[in-house]
Amino acid sequence: MILVQQLVLGLLVGGLYGLAAAGLSLVFGVLKVLNVAHGELIMLGGYGAFWLWVLLGFDPLLALPLVVAGALAFGVLLYWGLFAFVVRAHEETRIKNSLLIGFGLALATHALAVRLWTADERSITTTYAGAVLSLGPIAIPLVRLASLVLAFALIGALHLLLQRWRWGRAIRATAEDWEAAALTGIDVRRAYLLAFAIGTGLAGAAGTLVSVGYSISPSIGLEWTLKALIVVVLAGLGSMLGTFVGGLVLGLAEAASAFAFGGPYREVVGLVIFLAVLVARPRGLFAR
Amino acid sequence: MLEVEAVEAAYGPFLALSGVTLRVGPGEIVALLGPNGAGKTTLIRCVTGLLVPRAGRIRFGGAEIVGLLPHAIVERGLAVVPEGRRLFGGMTVEENLDLGAFTPHARAGLGRGRERIYEIFPILRERRRQLAGTLSGGQQQMVAIGRALMAAPRLLILDEPSLGLAPRIVETILGVIGEINRSGVSILLVEQNVQAALGLAHRAYILEAGRVAGEGNGPALLQDPHVRRAYLGPLASLPGSRPPLP
Amino acid sequence: MSRRGCLALGVAALAALAAVPLVVRRDDVLNFLFLVLLSVALAQSWNVVAGYAGQINLGHAAFFGLGALVTRTLWIAEWPVLAGAALGALAATAFALLVGAVAFRLRGAYFAIGTLALGEILRITVGNVLPEVSTLPTATIGAYRLADRYYFALALAAAAVGVVAALERSRAGLGMQAVREDEEAAEASGVGTLRLKLLALVLSTALAGLAGGLFAYYHISYYPAHPFGPHWTFDALLITFIGGVGTVHGPVLGAVFYVFLKEYLAIRWVDFHLLIFGVLFITIVLLLPGGLVEAAARLRTLARRAC
Repeated sequence: MILVQQLVLGLLVGGLYGLAAAGLSLVFGVLKVLNVAHGELIMLGGYGAFWLWVLLGFDPLLALPLVVAGALAFGVLLYWGLFAFVVRAHEETRIKNSLLIGFGLALATHALAVRLWTADERSITTTYAGAVLSLGPIAIPLVRLASLVLAFALIGALHLLLQRWRWGRAIRATAEDWEAAALTGIDVRRAYLLAFAIGTGLAGAAGTLVSVGYSISPSIGLEWTLKALIVVVLAGLGSMLGTFVGGLVLGLAEAASAFAFGGPYREVVGLVIFLAVLVARPRGLFAR
Repeated sequence: MLEVEAVEAAYGPFLALSGVTLRVGPGEIVALLGPNGAGKTTLIRCVTGLLVPRAGRIRFGGAEIVGLLPHAIVERGLAVVPEGRRLFGGMTVEENLDLGAFTPHARAGLGRGRERIYEIFPILRERRRQLAGTLSGGQQQMVAIGRALMAAPRLLILDEPSLGLAPRIVETILGVIGEINRSGVSILLVEQNVQAALGLAHRAYILEAGRVAGEGNGPALLQDPHVRRAYLGPLASLPGSRPPLP
Repeated sequence: MSRRGCLALGVAALAALAAVPLVVRRDDVLNFLFLVLLSVALAQSWNVVAGYAGQINLGHAAFFGLGALVTRTLWIAEWPVLAGAALGALAATAFALLVGAVAFRLRGAYFAIGTLALGEILRITVGNVLPEVSTLPTATIGAYRLADRYYFALALAAAAVGVVAALERSRAGLGMQAVREDEEAAEASGVGTLRLKLLALVLSTALAGLAGGLFAYYHISYYPAHPFGPHWTFDALLITFIGGVGTVHGPVLGAVFYVFLKEYLAIRWVDFHLLIFGVLFITIVLLLPGGLVEAAARLRTLARRAC
């Protein structure tokens, strides 16, 4: 039953992939900005949860709202400080500039994190960390299960927000056609700001869940950016629920490939799928 | 109500408008005619705030609006039905309409406004939960007009509303435009269907190569030999068809 | 500065650098200069595709790594190192041609993330297939002469600068710049865009492959996957952008600046130079896309006006 065990674990981490991708997808879909520092935002979220736990004793799953709130605020600052300038250009320049700027941001953030917190791996081990739910021969780590449920809940909440909230609809409209949105009376800059802040908030949430069920270090940024990119390309833009499912699919695919080709090649399958999908859609994700 | 004064606009080095002056008074229907590439849509982009003119003034309701962002202009009571409709295809009819009432000024009357749109276009009430992208051309045009009306505008701009629509639908649309005007909304109508536009409009301007080449009242222009020759050749006498190719 | 002036300066610098090992006996100086020269070569190789063909290749390390891999394998198998390096460059170029036609279907950011994925695939695969450290045989270590590596690096750096300088003035180079400015317009006016991009890729990866060979020649032991690591690409990107992408002397200025700052800060804070460069990079992208070269040009204009 090793395969089923692997698949279950893959599903559990896949939920986090989906959450990580949702933030990137929102920002890319609405602002047409490819923030390759998204993984670093996840890393920062993880450290936020970690330090809240170490210094103040806050249980990470309960501290999740705090980290998200902090991440939202940070997203606002980051948008005003940096990305507000990027969105002044038209789409193609915007994507290229955001790639470069995201790169610089990732580099700087990574170096700062190493300076502040050393390159060591950290993990949050609460009292219930080792608890496992046993379904026959399958062992399901409870913390990771809780993370999956929370990730799904957050995605669900995001979906509702985009459907029901006035500004959620404005964000969707802006993603589809920003000029038409502006002509309808929507302040597009505010829609951008909200989307970016929410995207950052989601990254913070993902980081928290990563720090609990897995581990964090300053270097996880690139890895998670790539995971998020793979899922976004796989699932396409536009549907948050679809992105979540895409994350689950990636998790399962990785598990299956680890079983078939051995653990070290786990990372490769996602990258290969990514390349295949990219090449099959050379005009990118916005082409209809 | 709307005063455009000596507006010049360019896309990079290409000068699209070289000094356009026109007016829309309260309660009027003004038509803006002209061949493809004359600059009609460019002018609309300047008025709605999507393009900043490099010279000239635009006043709405007495206040200067050049430099304002589009949403601020909508807030002041100027709404547009864009060329090609530009609905949010992934959203339902009702969501599109509701978004039309996004500005605070329009939001108060959202429920009432929506009801009014459904009265004007009963078929939209039937299809209100349908995705806007799946509607027919005529229905989409109704949604686009409805969305703009939801902003409770004092001036409504329509950019080529009859484009690609069947004659019967065009008639309905034109009738609706007349109704809207009678309820107190000024109209600026950009149209290639010259006959229909001139039949409806109080006054009209003709735009050619970035400047105003003619102006007059609707019925009179319809009789003008230059207009007839340029825009009402044998093929163009059918409603909904385009002027003959150069 | 005039072309003749530039050439004269270049030759003078080359001569001065060539004389260093004869005059200075200190290994640390030679190692430092080696690092600068390797950085110049790698950055110039990246500059060809970025600055002239206008595409951001984030998988550049793949070619560096392939060159290193082939060179190292052949050299340890007793082939002469120059032959190994040549074959390493060939391997890199062959791989580039294999993926290039497909990769260039992607535009802009998609090309960038696509090449990033490709580079990572290679790194992980090599790391799995060859997980053990590659160490030179004792006899070779005994015969190790730093000066040899230094001259190889000097020659490569000079060649890289020469290639870019020649490219800038050639018809192919002008064609590439047309592609960089506006690919669709270039395509419409009959410029064979794919052919030009592939040419740029070939030059770029050949140089990168040779740089990889240099790396394999220089290091006594390293993990075979190490030269495939993305930070080699990122270093080249930083250096080129900060110096001035699409210019001949930009990567040279950038490399000197970068290595100096890195070595200076490494004494106290490892990797802290990346924080500074990250911020500097963002500033340059937003405010001064021409990098240090543009900054220097503006200062000169300012100075001229002041005097």
